[in-house]
Amino acid sequence: MYYPEPISKLIDSFMKLPGIGPKTAARLAFFVLTMKEDAVLSFAKALVDAKRDLTYCSVCGHITDVDPCQICTDQSRDVSTICVVQDPKDVIAMEKMKDYHGLYHVLHGAISPMDGVGPEDINVASLINRLKDERVKELILATNPTIEGEATAMYISRLVKPSGIRTTRIAHGLPVGGDLEYADEVTLSKALEGRREI
Amino acid sequence: MIIERLQLTNYRNYESLNLEFSPQINVLIGENAQGKTNILESIYVLAMAKSHRTSNDKELIRWETDYGKIKGEIKNRYGKIPLELLVTKKGKKGKVNHIEQLKLSNYIGQINVVMFAPEDLNIVKGNPQVRRRFIDMEIGQISPVYLHELLNFQKLLKQRNQLLKNYQGKPKIDEVLFDIYTEQYIQSAVQIIRKRFEFVDLLQEWAEKIHSGISQGIEKLKIKYLTTKGIEKDWTANEMATYLAEKFTQVKEKEMERGLTLIGPHRDDLQFFVNDYDVQTYGSQGQQRTTALSLKLAEIELIKQETGEAPILLLDDVLSELDDFRQSHLLNTIQEEVQTFVTTTSVDGIHHETIQHAKLFHVKQGKVEI
Repeated sequence: MYYPEPISKLIDSFMKLPGIGPKTAARLAFFVLTMKEDAVLSFAKALVDAKRDLTYCSVCGHITDVDPCQICTDQSRDVSTICVVQDPKDVIAMEKMKDYHGLYHVLHGAISPMDGVGPEDINVASLINRLKDERVKELILATNPTIEGEATAMYISRLVKPSGIRTTRIAHGLPVGGDLEYADEVTLSKALEGRREI
Repeated sequence: MIIERLQLTNYRNYESLNLEFSPQINVLIGENAQGKTNILESIYVLAMAKSHRTSNDKELIRWETDYGKIKGEIKNRYGKIPLELLVTKKGKKGKVNHIEQLKLSNYIGQINVVMFAPEDLNIVKGNPQVRRRFIDMEIGQISPVYLHELLNFQKLLKQRNQLLKNYQGKPKIDEVLFDIYTEQYIQSAVQIIRKRFEFVDLLQEWAEKIHSGISQGIEKLKIKYLTTKGIEKDWTANEMATYLAEKFTQVKEKEMERGLTLIGPHRDDLQFFVNDYDVQTYGSQGQQRTTALSLKLAEIELIKQETGEAPILLLDDVLSELDDFRQSHLLNTIQEEVQTFVTTTSVDGIHHETIQHAKLFHVKQGKVEI
């Protein structure tokens, strides 16, 4: 199929986004042609601004437009707990809950020798630095329940141990509001392992 | 459960085939390369939606046609289920009760089959890898959690090996990280080892009975699970973990040198003894075959216990290689309960009593006569 160069370039650009294949890309590109010029310009600006104006917080590693980020500078938050997550998206998930009022620390990955990711490649050193602050009393390890996430959590807990700060790992098990019958076998067996007295 | 009727369209060398089966023994007779195994295979494919011989589904479609179709009528204790599997060059579609299943995984499992083909002799004769695969697949059938643990283990093994490779020849290593991977690895390894011990006990129980039946009580089959030296079956998980941790500190230097994990279930093996002789080394062809057969037939018991129903047994080219006694005892043990399909090149090799009870199918150049 022949496309004039500007549109084929646009299609190629859309295809670089996750979840967008050639058909969706073509559909989006042709839609852009029908948009008003102002709208297209502000769309393009939004793209560039997101990249240009956002940085990682120098304290916690979360994405932010001001450094340190809003969470780190929020006076109402509880500075005695830090929740360690793998990804900025995890912070957003935790924040949706609105039940956690502590601080965060984003690792930007998990240790995985197979993928060439060692402890020095993720945001661990700055975490250890943050723990020197005496106000920190608890570290919640909320890395993913995968082999890599588990190893990362264990690694951090081992490093933190000498400091005497309380280190906890989030639980895994059944999703709330779900039916037991729909849970997969592995989740069920983990949930059974983690049962507690009531 | 039994398959009452089979209909093949454009499957392998069959343009159109319609067969009705006996609920007991069905014998497919024919020269080589006439299409006996294709019929056996089609039943396997109808059950598992994949072939035991090839991973390329296109091979299942008859030459110069676009699709192949297998239809079967299954009878289990709840009633009859019509099954249909369509194989096209683009993929497969399964219908249960004339209703198309969106996911193939919902289709699989409607029928259970156990296949015994000549290459299964490798469970006894082949290398340890074949035997580990055999245990893993068998345990996987009864315990999905085991399959998950196994995947976990394999991943940890890879991670740990990579770590060792990274540290190879380096004077300074991250001890904390290495310890964590060793610990996680041990945790996972212990789970695998305990499951395998448990399973080999079950397997021993069933296979011994079957083997003794086939050999008229002359031979006693024993299965030994060989795992890391020193580990005992009745140890608790903690005892195993402590023991392995101790072992790992002993081999640490060697592991660093080689860049490989030297201890663990990835080096396990099974050993089979008939009357206390190691079958792999000292057994005759016949004994090796009987051992492999007993192990496979034990799978029938396993499935029966799991699903409450006997699977369909497919024997590809095995009967003629067993002597009369073994044959009739084999068929006696399965006759009443298990629908069986047997391929053979001639009836001469088969005990006449068996033939009398069986339904015979003569296969010649893609045509089948009763």
